[in-house]
Amino acid sequence: MTTTPESTSPLTPQNGVSVSGDSGVASSALLSLRGITKSFGAVEALKHVDLDIPAGQVTALIGDNGAGKSTLIKAIAGIYAPTSGEIYWEGRKVSMHTPRDAEDLGIATVYQDLALCDNLDIVQNMYLGHEESRRLTLDEIKMELNTKRVLSELSVSTVRSVRQLVGSLSGGQRQAIAVARAVMHESKLVIMDEPTAALGVSQTAQVLDLIKRLASRGIAVLVISHNLVDVFEVADRIAVMYLGTLVSSGPVANYDTASAVEIITTGGFQSDVAATVK
Amino acid sequence: MSRAVSEVVSPSSNEGEPASWARRLVGNQQFMLFVVFVAIFAFFTFNDSVFASVSEIGNNITDFSTLVLLAVGETFVIATGGIDLSVGGTSGFAGVVGAIAMEHLAPHGEWVVLGVGTLVCLGVGIGIGLINAVLMHYARLVPFVATLVTMGAAEGMSLVLTGGAPVGSNFGAITLTEPKISVFSYPDIIIILITVVAGLYLHYSKFGRYTFAIGSNSFAVRAVGVNVRRHLTWVYVLSGALAGLTGMFIYMRLGSGAPSAGVGTELVAIAAVVIGGARLTGGSAQLSGTVLGAMILTIVSSGLIIMNVSPNFNQVAVAILIALAATFQALRKGSRADV
Ligand SMILES: Nc1ncnc2c1ncn2[C@@H]1O[C@H](COP(=O)(O)OP(=O)(O)OP(=O)(O)O)[C@@H](O)[C@H]1O
Ligand SMILES: [Mg+2]
Repeated sequence: MTTTPESTSPLTPQNGVSVSGDSGVASSALLSLRGITKSFGAVEALKHVDLDIPAGQVTALIGDNGAGKSTLIKAIAGIYAPTSGEIYWEGRKVSMHTPRDAEDLGIATVYQDLALCDNLDIVQNMYLGHEESRRLTLDEIKMELNTKRVLSELSVSTVRSVRQLVGSLSGGQRQAIAVARAVMHESKLVIMDEPTAALGVSQTAQVLDLIKRLASRGIAVLVISHNLVDVFEVADRIAVMYLGTLVSSGPVANYDTASAVEIITTGGFQSDVAATVK
Repeated sequence: MSRAVSEVVSPSSNEGEPASWARRLVGNQQFMLFVVFVAIFAFFTFNDSVFASVSEIGNNITDFSTLVLLAVGETFVIATGGIDLSVGGTSGFAGVVGAIAMEHLAPHGEWVVLGVGTLVCLGVGIGIGLINAVLMHYARLVPFVATLVTMGAAEGMSLVLTGGAPVGSNFGAITLTEPKISVFSYPDIIIILITVVAGLYLHYSKFGRYTFAIGSNSFAVRAVGVNVRRHLTWVYVLSGALAGLTGMFIYMRLGSGAPSAGVGTELVAIAAVVIGGARLTGGSAQLSGTVLGAMILTIVSSGLIIMNVSPNFNQVAVAILIALAATFQALRKGSRADV
C-alpha cells in the first residue's frame, strides 16, 4: 500500500481520495472537498473532485495546463462558488460565497502575480484587509513593528526597508511578502498558485524553504507547481488533476518523477509504469 | 491660505531613506508645485499689482472654492483607477434642482431655505453617484462611459428643467459668499474644512488605504476579502456628493440656479488632480497635490483675465499646464517614492 499511489479511473472519481493507505487523514483533515464540480457554461472545469488537505503538511497539486488546478483553488478561496459539492473545514460543513468567508476561516491564497498591490509598501500590503486602527486613524507603528517581526521570524532578510513599495521588489521577495502575509494573519491553510514559476535558482530555493517552514509551524500548505523537482523537494503529499478530475492522490513516497509524469499526461497508470514503481 | 491647506493636508513623506534637506525638497512634488504657484503668483503681480490686492485674492479664493471640491472627489475616483466625468454636470444639475426647491421654500425664511437647499443639492449629487455605481456594477460600463452617460443626462436635464435660463433668483444668498473672516467667506471656510478632512481620510484611514489598493490591484483587494464593489460605490457617491455641494455654492455665488454653470468644469477638476501628481492608471495620488493643482489653475485663469488675455486662451493655458505636469511626472518616474 505504501508503494502504490491511489489511482482511479477518471470515470469513477468518487473513489479517488478515500485512500485506504492513510484513512486517518480523511477524518483529521483540515480541509476536505467532496464531489466539487464547477461548470463555466458548457465547460466542466472541475468534475466531482474529492481531496483531503491535512494540517502541517505540504500538498502539491499538479496537472497539465487546463487541468483545473487554478479553478480548484479559486473554489477553495471563495472566488468561485462550486456548482455542486461540499467543503468541510475542521470536520464542519462550510460554504464560502466570498473571499472574505475563506479569509475568516483562516484560508490565505497567494495568486501568482496577482497577490500584491505594487503601489503600496510592504507594511500596507501585509495588512491589506486587516488594518490595525487606533481610534480613527491607522496604527502605522504597530503594523510596521509586526511586519518586521514576522519577516525576521521567517528569515526574510533580503528586503531593505518595510516601507519600500512592493512594485520595487524582486519576484522572490514578492512571494516571500505574500507568504509572510498569510503567516501574520495566522492562517491555517495557505494556498499558492505556482509560487516559483518566475523565479531563478536561489530565489526558488528561498521560497521552497519558506514553504517548508510554514508546514513545520503546523500550517497546511496547498501548492500548485509545474516543476516536479520542486514538488518532490517540498511536498509531503501529491494530488494530480487531469481534465478537471482529481485522478490520484497520496503521500509523496508513493510517487516518483516517472509515475507523476505518466499520471499528469495520461490521467492514470499504464500497467508497465505501475510495475516499475513497484 | 495656501500654506494652511497644503500644510494640513500634506501627508507625511518622512518614509524612505534619509536624504539631505535640499534633495528631499526638490524631490517633493508638493514643494515643487508650491514653488510653481508662488512663481506664477509673482509673475502676475509683477505685471499688475492689482493681482495681489485683497479683493482680487478674495475673488481667487471664491473661484478656488468652486473647483476644489470637484477635484477632491475626482482625486478619490482617480486613485481607484477610475474617472468621473459627471462632476461638472452634477454640480449644475444640483444647483438647478436646489434652486427650484428653494424657490418653493421661500416663505420659510433664509436659513430654512438654504439648509434644505443644501440637502437637496447633496441628495442630487449622491443620487447621481449611485447611478454611476449602478451603471458600472450592473450594466458593466467602464467608469469613463458610465460617467459620460450621467454627465450628458445631468447637463441635458438642467436645460430641460430651466429652458436654458437661470431659475430661482435669490440675491440674498450672494452676500453669504462675500468675505467675512479676513479674505474668506463662510462657505469658503466650510469648503476648506471639508478638503482638509477629505485629505486626512484619504491618506490616514482604512477607507483611503483601500481606495489606493483598488487602484493598484483590485483583484488582490478582493482576494483579501474587501467588498470592492461597495467601496467603489462609496467613492462615486462621495464624488457626487461633493459635486452637489459645489452646485449649492455656485447657486449662492450667482444668486440663482444656472443650467450651464458646471459645463466643462470636470476637465479642470481632472487637470487639478493630474497636475497634483496623481497617476490616471490609479493607485497613486496626493490630496495636497490636488489642492495645489487647483490653486495654480485658479490663479492662472484669473491672472490671464487681469492681463487682458482673451478668456478663450484659458483652455489653452490649462492644456499647457497638464502637458508640463505630465512631462514632469514622466521624467521623475525613475526615482519616485510616492503613494
Ligand atoms: N472563468 C472561466 N471561464 C470559462 N472557462 C474557464 C474559466 N476559468 C477556467 N476555465 C477553463 O477551465 C479549465 C481549467 O482551467 P484552470 O485555469 O483551472 O487550469 P490550470 O490547471 O490552472 O492550468 P494552468 O496550469 O495552465 O494554469 C480550462 O479549460 C479553462 O479554459
Ligand atoms: Mg493555473
